[in-house]
Amino acid sequence: MATIRQQLASPLQLLALASASLILLPLGYVTAQALSADPVVWRRLWATRIPELLFNTVSLAASVAVVTLILGVSTAWLLTRVEIPGRRFWEAALVLPLAMPTYVLAYVYSYLLGFGGPAEHLWQLMAGPQARIFSPHSFWGATLVMALDTFPFVYLLSRSALLSMNVSFEEAARASGVSRLATLWRVTLPLMRPSIAAGLALVILYVVSDFGAVSLLRYQTLTYAVFQQMTGRSDNSAASILSLLLVVIALIFLITERWFRQRSRFYQTTGRYRAPERHRYGWLGTLAVIGYLGLIVGAAFALPASLLVRWSLSPEALTTIDSRFFGFIWNSAILAASASTGGVLIGLPLAYLACRRPTFLNLSCLQAAYAGYVLPGPVAALAVLILFTTVAPVFYGSALILIVAYVIHFLPAGLQSLEPALQHISPNLEEVSRTLGLGIRETWRRVTLPLVRNGFVAAWVLMFLQTMKELPATLLLRPVGFDTLAIRVWMEASEEYYQLAAPSALLIVLLSLPALVLLVSKDWRAA
Amino acid sequence: MLFVRCLPTLSQLVLSSLLFLFTAVAFVSSAPAADSLTIYSGRSERLIKPVLDAFTATTGIQIQLLSSGTTELLNRLKAEGDRTSADLFITNDAGSLELARTAGILRPLNMREIDRAIPSQFRAPDNAWVGLSGRFWIVVYNRTMVQPDQVNSLLDLADPKWKDKIAIPNSGSEYLQAGVSVIRATYGEEKTRQFLQGLKANADSQVYQKSSQIVDAVAKGQVALGIVNHYYIYRHLAAQPDAPIAALMPDQQEGGMGAIMNVAGIGIIKSTKHLDSAKLLVEFLVAQAGQKLFAELDKEYPLHQDVRADPALMERKNFRAALVPLTRLAELREPTLALIEQVGLR
Repeated sequence: MATIRQQLASPLQLLALASASLILLPLGYVTAQALSADPVVWRRLWATRIPELLFNTVSLAASVAVVTLILGVSTAWLLTRVEIPGRRFWEAALVLPLAMPTYVLAYVYSYLLGFGGPAEHLWQLMAGPQARIFSPHSFWGATLVMALDTFPFVYLLSRSALLSMNVSFEEAARASGVSRLATLWRVTLPLMRPSIAAGLALVILYVVSDFGAVSLLRYQTLTYAVFQQMTGRSDNSAASILSLLLVVIALIFLITERWFRQRSRFYQTTGRYRAPERHRYGWLGTLAVIGYLGLIVGAAFALPASLLVRWSLSPEALTTIDSRFFGFIWNSAILAASASTGGVLIGLPLAYLACRRPTFLNLSCLQAAYAGYVLPGPVAALAVLILFTTVAPVFYGSALILIVAYVIHFLPAGLQSLEPALQHISPNLEEVSRTLGLGIRETWRRVTLPLVRNGFVAAWVLMFLQTMKELPATLLLRPVGFDTLAIRVWMEASEEYYQLAAPSALLIVLLSLPALVLLVSKDWRAA
Repeated sequence: MLFVRCLPTLSQLVLSSLLFLFTAVAFVSSAPAADSLTIYSGRSERLIKPVLDAFTATTGIQIQLLSSGTTELLNRLKAEGDRTSADLFITNDAGSLELARTAGILRPLNMREIDRAIPSQFRAPDNAWVGLSGRFWIVVYNRTMVQPDQVNSLLDLADPKWKDKIAIPNSGSEYLQAGVSVIRATYGEEKTRQFLQGLKANADSQVYQKSSQIVDAVAKGQVALGIVNHYYIYRHLAAQPDAPIAALMPDQQEGGMGAIMNVAGIGIIKSTKHLDSAKLLVEFLVAQAGQKLFAELDKEYPLHQDVRADPALMERKNFRAALVPLTRLAELREPTLALIEQVGLR
């Protein structure tokens, strides 16, 4: 048996090694360039930009983490433990913000909260004509936008933790005379801790690598500074130094997330025996809960989406919907489809090997594939660009180079649904198929692949969704005549042509919705 | 589950998506049609596309436009080398064009049309790049918040009394780099450093990516003053005549350095395979008709002697420009960037 498996593994192994090295190359390039940079540049950056950028990045990540923690856990708890009318509706609605790219939310909020904007007018009606509200182009503005956009990560993970949790623990605590609040604090939340931590790590990774929102809100983070250095300077040494710092920060959070994920196994050994009971609140309580949920969904999705619809229907915006506009749609679709296909094809051998033959080498290959998470879009773009000019100049200026950058950048998102899908299949099934006389290939085709299909589809859709929204790498690498919807939104929104940006933004949101349907449908992880 | 069942089988999925992948690659790498030009443009699409559309309308030559940052595109051209698909490079900054010329990216031109239309100080000695329109880096102020006699020179804006009252472009902006270069060449390193430090403190977080946003912020009264290219002010006023903003031409006082001028220009890429069409475009842009479009649409100063600027603009002969030649902007760039970085401008 072992020798047969070896045979199956070797071409796969090569493939996995090749993919892993392709993914690690950009990271290596950035590190090398940063370390070989003139010490004068390092010193100058330390003396001027780095302290500010580090502080801005870390404090934004921390404040977004706190806000998403509150929003995500409270909504998840309300929806799993309280009986409210229209529960199914709210469950779905709370995921909707994920369809809203950060730059879209940022531009809507820079209009809403901006100087002389509607929110300020409203406030001035109440507080007098000189009153000012906080500027969206600030720490708080960036926090608000990023938190509204990312809290669904925490919500989704907390919710699944609450649903799969063994209710007996809570009941035992209650039976021992612990109050309801203390049970929540001392039993439920500690049990949820791994999921919450994983969700927060995701949120933080998202925040530190975000470019769209911080660039539109003019909040200086490391990622934004890297882009500015790359587009404003002729040499990239300063950009690569800043990137290296960013990679280190992101790596810390990635490792934290992994660590918590490992610990989560320890907690969830026992299956759940029955669904937790949902409390019924009085009408006042129910109303308060619905008001709370409505406020969150309204601020994070309904209000921005309805503004986008209104702007899209304005006469200025309608004139932009011509054949050129359909070209942008086509560009977005084809790029995203190609990147997600490439990602799945590269990710599958990596995930399969790490699951079935968890040798040190295979596990390292899989970890390498997660490097994309810690490479901000602009840096991934630059590294891929240099890679291609030296290795395969023929493809220069084609969409391929952009697709490679996408694959590197978004493979982690795909792997996160490929990996569990594979882990859920018992190797016994394959072994049974082999003992019943099917060949290796036949087994792979008729047993393994059908079993991982759902994970496969989920990975594809998630990567498609992320690629379509991607901004910085697209800005830097797009071939001539290959503007995407995301590019159009950013170009118009960064000059504050809100109406003109709206049709593209609305379309991105609409196209993202099917992917979300998949994400919330309960069976998406089931193999 | 139902949703997932409806999907095509796995192999179909893989096959069809592979097909996607190949079409995508083929789609892009297919050579552009003969009568088509590819332009890398550092000017905002809004400001250049109408002029290029007029060219397409008269000649039938299609144009593929890649709009992005000037320096970013210059980096890209350097990286792409001879393999680039670009035929022409348009920028908003003479320094960047000169850098492209010294990097050997641009092709010298011997065209009588250029010599006749554009004065020699607005183009490279070998015509590898040609200025198309002039712009001045000036002060926009909110009329309800500032009296025009409160500011004489750009250097006045470093005065602490303007704390939190001014908006500036980010340090990646080529106009800012060119402007600081001119100030450095005129007043020297130390004085420029003090100016930048004051400017940084006064602007604080009011650092913008786009000049149009600066004008907008001044018009709304969010800040009192801003430094922008002049045409953003007049374009704003053309769209909203009641906006409480006005332009202030700085450094015109006795012995002052003069207003900082730059040009937007064009150069033909050395490796172009469409030289005739590319020349046709340059000819179109420097000719009276093309120059008029720049004057009318973009509110810039046409460089052609016989074409008049928009009457709303300050008469060109009524103010002085700084004496630093445009071609020097390239060599001044590196030390200027070092200074900008030392000061820590965003």
